[in-house]
Amino acid sequence: MASVQVSLPLPVLPQGWAADRDFKPIGHLSDANDRNIEPVGPHFLAHARRKRHKRTFSEDDR
Amino acid sequence: MSAEHDPAQRVAIGISFGNSYSSIAFTTAEGKAEVIANEDGERQIPSILSYVEGEELHGGQAKSQLVRNAKNTVAYFRDFLGQEFKSIDPTPCHQSAHPVQHESTIAFKIRDTAEDKENEVTVSEITTRHLKRLRSSASNYLGKDVNAAVITVPTNFSNAQKEALNKAAKEAGIEVLQFISEPVAAVLAYDARPEAKMADKIIVVADLGGARSDVAVIASRGGIYTVLATVHDYEVTGLKLDQVLMDHFAKEFLKKHKSAGDPRENDRALAKLRLECEAVKKALSIGTSANFSVESLVGGIDFTATINRTRYDLLGNKLFAAFVRLVTHAVEKAELDPLDISEVIIAGGNANTPKVASALGAAFPESTTILAPSTSATAINPSELSVRGAAIQASLVQEFELEDIEQSTHPMVTVTPHLSHAVGVLCISGEESSGIFHPIIDAETPLPVRRIAIIATPKEGGDVLIKLAEGSRHIKVTKPEPKPKKKSEDDEDDSDEDESDEEEELREKTWKVGKVLSEAAIKGIKKGGKVEVQINIAADLGVNAIFREVGGKGGVRGIIQPPKATQNGSA
Ligand SMILES: Nc1ncnc2c1ncn2[C@@H]1O[C@H](COP(=O)(O)OP(=O)(O)OP(=O)(O)O)[C@@H](O)[C@H]1O
Ligand SMILES: [Mg+2]
Repeated sequence: MASVQVSLPLPVLPQGWAADRDFKPIGHLSDANDRNIEPVGPHFLAHARRKRHKRTFSEDDR
Repeated sequence: MSAEHDPAQRVAIGISFGNSYSSIAFTTAEGKAEVIANEDGERQIPSILSYVEGEELHGGQAKSQLVRNAKNTVAYFRDFLGQEFKSIDPTPCHQSAHPVQHESTIAFKIRDTAEDKENEVTVSEITTRHLKRLRSSASNYLGKDVNAAVITVPTNFSNAQKEALNKAAKEAGIEVLQFISEPVAAVLAYDARPEAKMADKIIVVADLGGARSDVAVIASRGGIYTVLATVHDYEVTGLKLDQVLMDHFAKEFLKKHKSAGDPRENDRALAKLRLECEAVKKALSIGTSANFSVESLVGGIDFTATINRTRYDLLGNKLFAAFVRLVTHAVEKAELDPLDISEVIIAGGNANTPKVASALGAAFPESTTILAPSTSATAINPSELSVRGAAIQASLVQEFELEDIEQSTHPMVTVTPHLSHAVGVLCISGEESSGIFHPIIDAETPLPVRRIAIIATPKEGGDVLIKLAEGSRHIKVTKPEPKPKKKSEDDEDDSDEDESDEEEELREKTWKVGKVLSEAAIKGIKKGGKVEVQINIAADLGVNAIFREVGGKGGVRGIIQPPKATQNGSA
């Protein structure tokens, strides 16, 4: 996938903002919906390979 | 036997098998799908068999037998496969061999041998014969014995129907590598083109075929497809459009020949009328007018007439409008708005009709691309979308063991969690205080997923805050300024028009910021620098993010834990 280009700027860091290693987890993702993906096309095949061999994207890249 | 199961011995093609037409295609060594013409030069091969003194005719040759030999001509049988007699609608077969109940299945009573006797030939056997003819045409063309195929089926084809088709194909010497659904095949046909760019989008495939119409709303995320909603209809069809023309020309004929009978009341005249009207309809897809010409329509009278496209558009108006309603209904069923739809692929033979494309175009905003021959010079022939997709898929899977293909298509692999909300970052809008959500990963994206975004920073650079959040798409409706009303006597009568005027409100897609997921800081960004955010979301909804200045060293890593399992309501 091509990367997403965002032209609106990020906000300036507020005064006094601090976090361990500059990262602060705040919330969790909402629950996902289980749906059926179509077993069709080259990208599905890559997905199936990852899933069946329990591999991650970066392992797959290698 | 064994050759059939040895992937190395496979010669695989794609087959689209419709109630009206079938097509065959293969993928070249360069990865391009090519549609194969049969011995008569047909790429859209009528799914029809006809028997004349024991000789089997197929395709267009069989179709012309509908005039003289309708009883021994079998047409519109695909949807009967794997069904019980009581659950089928035999209407499309009214002008050809009628389906009858045969034990637990369906058959056609035809004289298919040289003997003077009718046989009950099951729909399964008819399908086998039809597929044998397709297989032989493909084999002749390729100079190799075709023995495997990917076949397209509607999204609502039941397992029983697939099993029946699988069996019939096997009898025809075709190992079915995989059934894929028609609308997904259409999307793949477009995505497989070398110039296709991968993007996250919602696609509607609107298929106006011969005996049915089918609509599917499909999320395409990084080349992976998820069907979000489907609609099927058996009333808004190409056959009905033919009927509209048949009624028109029958009336014209009766105007000229008052004493002659109604061609719709005589079987042979009706068959001639239908064939010619389908040809006229096809001609109107290319030309702005077309000629109708039938020799000896009724009572030995030849009849010719012309029709222009505008007239046809008007005659078919109800059906075109009904088709548009099916499509918008499918979008609603997917809980989406027309503004969410990036592309509408118009498929099926009737997609060639310019009015079908323009009527659909009017139901979607300008941001939606309508892919049909009349709206896009680069549109793929809508009659060939399914078969091209099937051929591409055949080339992708033909080297696998059948067992491997089956495993990969098993729900264990295909059932996948999809994001319920978009995930993105908060940027700065006009007034600095309020953030604006910018999506990086859309809702309905299957997990796991990885996406990268490149984001601008304030002009001066410096320290920035990166807030990851969920967002929901919101449709913002702006009512136009009320127009000063013209005072007039017939205000009442005008009220209808006024209302439709007012519907021309401005509708926009905006985002509502939802749950904030995390904050991260990148410090000391140089002037004009950009920030790269990489987001990995695992199947368990755990997030792993990396933030860094583009071209800079190091960066910030963050982990957002998956939500606690919400079993037993204890969140
Ligand atoms: N060039 C054309 N212009 C207009 N209509 C066309 C054209 N070519 C084919 N059709 C119409 O398209 C219909 C057949 O479409 P298609 O080949 O997609 O059907 P199918 O998938 O075989 O049938 P079904 O959807 O009923 O199973 C017929 O009504 C036919 O008249
Ligand atoms: Mg069809």
